This record gives sequence, structure tokens and C-alpha cells, in this order.
Amino acid sequence: MWVARVDEGWLFGDLSPRTAEILKGVPMLLESEDPRVRARLLPETLDDVGHEADWRQHAVPELERLFASRSTLVGRDLAAMRPMKSGGKLLLLITNQHASAWLAALNAARLALYCLNDLNAAHMELDSEEPATPQQQQAIDSIHLMAEMQSVLLGDAPVESCGSITDLDL
Amino acid sequence: MARVKTAVETETKTRPETQLSRPWNVIVHDDPVTLMTYVTKVLMQVFAYAESKARTLMMEVHKTGRSIVWTGGREQAELYAQKLQAHHLLTTLEIVDD
Repeated sequence: MWVARVDEGWLFGDLSPRTAEILKGVPMLLESEDPRVRARLLPETLDDVGHEADWRQHAVPELERLFASRSTLVGRDLAAMRPMKSGGKLLLLITNQHASAWLAALNAARLALYCLNDLNAAHMELDSEEPATPQQQQAIDSIHLMAEMQSVLLGDAPVESCGSITDLDL
Repeated sequence: MARVKTAVETETKTRPETQLSRPWNVIVHDDPVTLMTYVTKVLMQVFAYAESKARTLMMEVHKTGRSIVWTGGREQAELYAQKLQAHHLLTTLEIVDD
């Protein structure tokens, strides 16, 4: 996978079918009904039972609507991925306008994978030696892949500027 | 956001006066998944904090497990908590002890 900064946003190229599949899971993870995911993405916020009930009644539905909206937006960008001319790999454009939504959606997806696969803090360390099942290792790899994308969108990773996407022959 | 305001307005009729007048803490808790630079960016975005302040608060979260990122009236505290949770920072609210 490579990344280029274009006038329109961030271009992720040479995405393998496997990487594309991982990313296509982001919208579903964001709207997961699994209680472990919901407990993390919509956490208990107040100690007082009455205050918490008010929070659940008024704040949580708005958050759920926001997550659904983000899920739709990210899903549309993923549906717009196209094969590259050079072969079977794919190209994804995250526009400047969608970067914030993507950042949050990737964070939610990483948190969801962490919860769904019974991972712990030691699993999250680079070069972790914490034992992991094959399924957990797959989740860890997906979490790290999404972290790389977040780092790009946050400006933490150096990315080459390439002008407009219309000037590129991809 | 308007719904939160409605909830607070309703609260004024039913909650003890002491809980309404006391300040509330907005607390961000550590999690092993969320990137540190992401936490900093969200704190800057939600509170309009300078990068140095946001980074200091983020490091407190990272090192001690939690940080009080804002203190003030309940209504505003709820709005901030909702914004932080919208970005998936693990956030709770508490009334400041006497």
C-alpha cells in the first residue's frame, strides 16, 4: 500500500483485495450491535442512575445517528474504490472533506475489533509477544493497518504531494 | 445537542439545587487502542486548546489513566462529553466533590 497527498485529499493505492475487505468492515463495526462494542462506543457516562438514564435518553440517540451517518459516508467512499490500471489492486480516495469522519470511523473500528477479539493492552504493543490466536492476530493486524491510515490522516506520517488526482495516470 | 439542553431544563425542576450549581468534571480515560496524537487532535478540536495544553492532558491520560479535561456547568459539560464520545474518547462526567 502506498499513500499520496493530492489536492482533493489522500490517495491510498495498491490496496490488496484483503486490505480492501478489512476496510469494508469498518462501517459494520461502527454500527455493531454487539454489547461489548456498544459498551465501549456508548459507555456508561455518569455514576448517578437518574443522570445516566437521562444521558441514555437524550445524548446516546444523537451519537447513534452520528455513527450511522459516518458509516454511510465511509461506506460510499469504499464503494467508490476502483481497480488500478496496473493490475488487480485497488485505489481509495479519502477527500479532505471526509478525513475527519474517516479518522473517527477508523478509531471506532479499531476499538470494536479490540473488544470483539478479547484483546488486551499487551497485544497492542509493537512487537508484542503476548500469545494470540490466529483470529486475534488477524484482528491485531487490522488494528495496526487502520492505525497507519489514521497516522497518515493526522499528518504524523510523511506523505508525498502529487498535485491533482486528475493529473495521475492510475 | 438541543435534546441535551431539553434534558437539562427538565432537570432543573427535579434535581436538588446543590447538584445543579456545583461544577462538573469532564474526564477522559485511557484506552490501549486510541492513538496519542488522535487524542491530542480531538482535545484541540473540541475545546480549542493550544496543542501544548492538549498534549499535556493527553500525557496525563496516558500516564495516570485519566485526566480532568474541563470543569464547569453541567449543560456545557454534557455537550463536551458528547463531542468527545462522538470521536470515541472514553469519557465520563462527575460532580466536583465539595
